[in-house]
Amino acid sequence: MFSNTLDNYAHNNNLNGMNTYFKVLFGIVTMLVSLISTSPVVPLIIALFMSILIVFIAKVSWKFYLKFFLFPFSFGLITFIFMAIFFGVGAHILELGIFNLAVTADGFNLGLLVFARMMGGFTCLAFLALTTPMTELFSVLRLIKIPQIVLEIAMLMYRYIFVFLDEAINMYHTQETRLGYSSLKKSFKSMGMLGSNLFIRTWMKGEQAFIAMESRCYDGSIKTMKKQGSIKTMGTRNLVLLVLFEVVLIMGVYFTGSFRIF
Amino acid sequence: MNVIETKDITYSYPDGTLALKDVEFNAAKGKIIALLGPNGAGKSTLFLHFNGILKPNKGTVRVNGEPLKYDKAGLMKVRQKVGIVFQNPDDQLFAPTVMEDVAFGPMNIGLPDEEVEERVKESLERVGMEGLENKAPHHLSGGQKKRVAIAGILAMRPEIMVLDEPTSGLDPKGASQIMHLLYNLNQEGMTIVISTHDVDLVPLYAYNVYIISEGKIIKEGSPLEVFEDVETIRGANLRLPRIAHLMEILGKEDKLPFDKPYPLTIGEARRRILKEFNDRVR
Repeated sequence: MFSNTLDNYAHNNNLNGMNTYFKVLFGIVTMLVSLISTSPVVPLIIALFMSILIVFIAKVSWKFYLKFFLFPFSFGLITFIFMAIFFGVGAHILELGIFNLAVTADGFNLGLLVFARMMGGFTCLAFLALTTPMTELFSVLRLIKIPQIVLEIAMLMYRYIFVFLDEAINMYHTQETRLGYSSLKKSFKSMGMLGSNLFIRTWMKGEQAFIAMESRCYDGSIKTMKKQGSIKTMGTRNLVLLVLFEVVLIMGVYFTGSFRIF
Repeated sequence: MNVIETKDITYSYPDGTLALKDVEFNAAKGKIIALLGPNGAGKSTLFLHFNGILKPNKGTVRVNGEPLKYDKAGLMKVRQKVGIVFQNPDDQLFAPTVMEDVAFGPMNIGLPDEEVEERVKESLERVGMEGLENKAPHHLSGGQKKRVAIAGILAMRPEIMVLDEPTSGLDPKGASQIMHLLYNLNQEGMTIVISTHDVDLVPLYAYNVYIISEGKIIKEGSPLEVFEDVETIRGANLRLPRIAHLMEILGKEDKLPFDKPYPLTIGEARRRILKEFNDRVR
């Protein structure tokens, strides 16, 4: 079960063994570079580079990645189109011929920049999400001093997402076996029952889990081992590589800063 | 000596349903005790009294001869001594990784990190789950989850382990592995209490059997004694072990010379049959 989910790829990919801190730092710093860029060139290069990393190095199935990528891509494209048409003033570069709408150079450049930044930022996040299991991200979050209570809730949520996903899938199948989804009207009804039933189950499961935790001396806070892991485990080589890569990107940002298509 | 003793405990749920009525349950040190009963008879409710999750309306629970104290310190103490493994491992496993889950109990006791790590390693080895420390529970099979749940209790080094339906939902091999593990733990001195309705498995391991029905203990004794009382067993929606049932039919229907107490295991039945057979031939 769950063979085609994000979580599964995060746990089984070629970059799994790589140092978590390295991956996190790499993803976040690259994303920041993508965001500060004033021209679309560097973010688009980052998007391409990250996609190559994800598909060819981490060996995440390209079909899955494409589907995953399609959502922000289409969203970005719509943003781009709207900005090109409705934003900016000045010379028209393309008359649409209806309602006096026209694309301005100003709007086009701004739209393209936003689109490029979105793609750059998204691919960096996708890299993190697809190569780093949540379980390891928790230890990073702990290191950067995220409040304990937030972490606890996140941990429990992460675990129970899968428990309830499992239950929901089972319930869905049992409803399907009894033809619960044979028409649109029935589908709505079945889905509603599934939802409400799932809600009641979460309540019951929560109570059960609390009893089980109490049996193991739970006193209101989840204590975790202080893992020896620190940012230092990243290694000098990785650190140098990372710094070099980011410096090259920032130089790229500097030199292409005034690049405009129109 | 009895490590767990309940005296006349009565418990009703907040909605008024009577769950337990004057239950007397004793678990002798270093033995395997089985609690047999149909669904909804009160097995799980009784177990939750052993470590103070539920407080009886009437009667007392004693662990190692001392009455349970329901203050914070007392509960901490008893929960280290009495470990409960719940029926559905998904209720028990809450942490994102196997290691963190097993470490939960020892961390709560307040042990230093090194000790916790050692115990985690040891308990996972014990249940045959070493090497899967960093797996997420939803990537494990049912049997593996059960073993992690047991490891989580083992890591607290309890004197008494209480397991609610330890073999339910497992395939035959998985079930027999769990029972072997429990048997080995028992050999090392741990007292084990299991609830089950798997009557075929109970006689193989149990020293003492309790039968609970509608919140009352209706029969108690060695497996041989308990299963001799066929009417009570059937009245409680249970059945004889298959092998005993076969011997009953052979005795009653086919007039073969098998009568009470019926053998409960394949080994016993084999001896009985061979004995009869040899007597006839001679």
